[in-house]
Amino acid sequence: MSVNTWIVVAGDPAIGNLIETARSLGGEVAAAVVGPRAVADTVAAGGVDKVVWFGEPGDVPVEAYATAVADAISAAPGVLLCAGGPGDRVLLGAAAARLRAPVLTGGSSIAAEGDGVVVTRSVFGGIAVETVAVTGPVALVLDGGPVPAAAGSAPVEEVAAVPLGMTVIETRPSAFEQIDLGAATRVVGIGRGLKTQQDLALIEALAGASNAEVACSRPLAEGLDWLGKDRYIGVSGQHISPELYFAIGISGQLQHMVGVRGATTIVAINSDAGAPVFKDADYGLVGDLYQIVPALTAALK
Amino acid sequence: MKIVVAYKWAPNPQDATVGSAGTVDWSRAKPGISEYDPVAAELARRLADATGGEVIGLTAGAKRVDVTLARKAALSRGLDRAVIVADDSLEGAGTTELAMVLAAAVRHIGDVDLVITGDSSVDVGGKMVPTVLAGALGWPAVSEVSAVTGEAGSVRVERAIAGGTQVLQISGPAVLAASTDAAVPRVPGMRDILAAGKKPVETVTVADLNVPATGPTVTVTGTSRPDLKARKGEMIDTKDPTAAAAELVTALRGAGVL
Repeated sequence: MSVNTWIVVAGDPAIGNLIETARSLGGEVAAAVVGPRAVADTVAAGGVDKVVWFGEPGDVPVEAYATAVADAISAAPGVLLCAGGPGDRVLLGAAAARLRAPVLTGGSSIAAEGDGVVVTRSVFGGIAVETVAVTGPVALVLDGGPVPAAAGSAPVEEVAAVPLGMTVIETRPSAFEQIDLGAATRVVGIGRGLKTQQDLALIEALAGASNAEVACSRPLAEGLDWLGKDRYIGVSGQHISPELYFAIGISGQLQHMVGVRGATTIVAINSDAGAPVFKDADYGLVGDLYQIVPALTAALK
Repeated sequence: MKIVVAYKWAPNPQDATVGSAGTVDWSRAKPGISEYDPVAAELARRLADATGGEVIGLTAGAKRVDVTLARKAALSRGLDRAVIVADDSLEGAGTTELAMVLAAAVRHIGDVDLVITGDSSVDVGGKMVPTVLAGALGWPAVSEVSAVTGEAGSVRVERAIAGGTQVLQISGPAVLAASTDAAVPRVPGMRDILAAGKKPVETVTVADLNVPATGPTVTVTGTSRPDLKARKGEMIDTKDPTAAAAELVTALRGAGVL
């Protein structure tokens, strides 16, 4: 059996995995693309069968096209896929509402079976995995993967859309430099064990000596604002798989550790011998990070 | 302005135990107001105080979401009243089913200007209920919202985007998911908790609302534990930090990760 698929795209064409997944289901692969024409063209060249594009957005945010996307998809429902960006989720949610389609997040694999699909996904913040079967429209949030390489030239059909009443009136850049943690082979993660923002210098020195990027647990990026949000590792932040991860002054709650499960080696440094982080570590050092981190930095030089 | 705060009464997966076959046992995990929902309540309260208006708590779930403890926990955080959809048919309800019920409840409340939610729920954490809810209402949805100003039918919203902040002007009603640090929520005191017991609560069932028929069903065919990497769990003595650092560096070089 084959299943037709819609890929929903809100401005970011990093959907290589979604195209691959949709292709594996065997049916027609359509993409509903909101954003500039260049994004629609990238998707059209990436190996889909057709692209429905909603016109140049100008100062209209991607979310404003939610109803238009739902309209287009409801004309030919199927399995809906999107990557996990905030705009992607809004468009997917509107389409799911229209089709009354169940929404499944955390999916790791999907296969066509009978008239429907079988999905394996991580549930409840990663504590368990479940396999589910659904027949009929279903909406899935998956890892988008890279921007697809040019592999074809599907037609781009422009649909006149009436966006919802919202406009972008200002965009302000972040005070923090943007980084791609996912590309780092070594990462030094710091948590609430750090006493002051000035002490980040200690962590940066270790990162420098080990050629690593600096990352953090949620409170340091959201709340304390010591580091940019793109450095926050955790269930709703970054999920990374570096070769080496230092968890320093991080207690190791599930919500954080789920973001570094893919790391090859984990080193934990914490003053609390009972901290859960030691259960998830390859090497554990119980002690004061203010003594151990400088010693480690010196040893690496 | 009439603001609805959609909140969830749910347990933290951190406190659940997972059996060898991946079955989740919640019996030792006590439910509470979902982690980020007090931020939504605080954001709503401040906006209502600035513009005049009321803040209505809304939740939906099995009957146990309507216990006194849950009511007080919600109403002590700046809400004026609550509407609770308590119906055992909602046990284990999925994202779309729950969002459809919430949408019907928002219509039931009537003349709502904004629905504000937390960033994500503590148990499911899918960040999808607000978007499906907005879709069901035909309203715009915006997530990662750090600030809201304006008046009924015309709000200015700041939201985090990759590499910065965007300011949006929205006309008409909308669903906003607050960022986790949009506001520092109040810590309810004894007076707030006592006052919460006197605030009006309307309890309804799914049958009282105009909820559309549900779509395809999701059948769980199997569960398992996550496939985790086995960790070495080697502890390094830190009595002498310099020696400990040297031992760690040697071990990491030996493992080929330095």
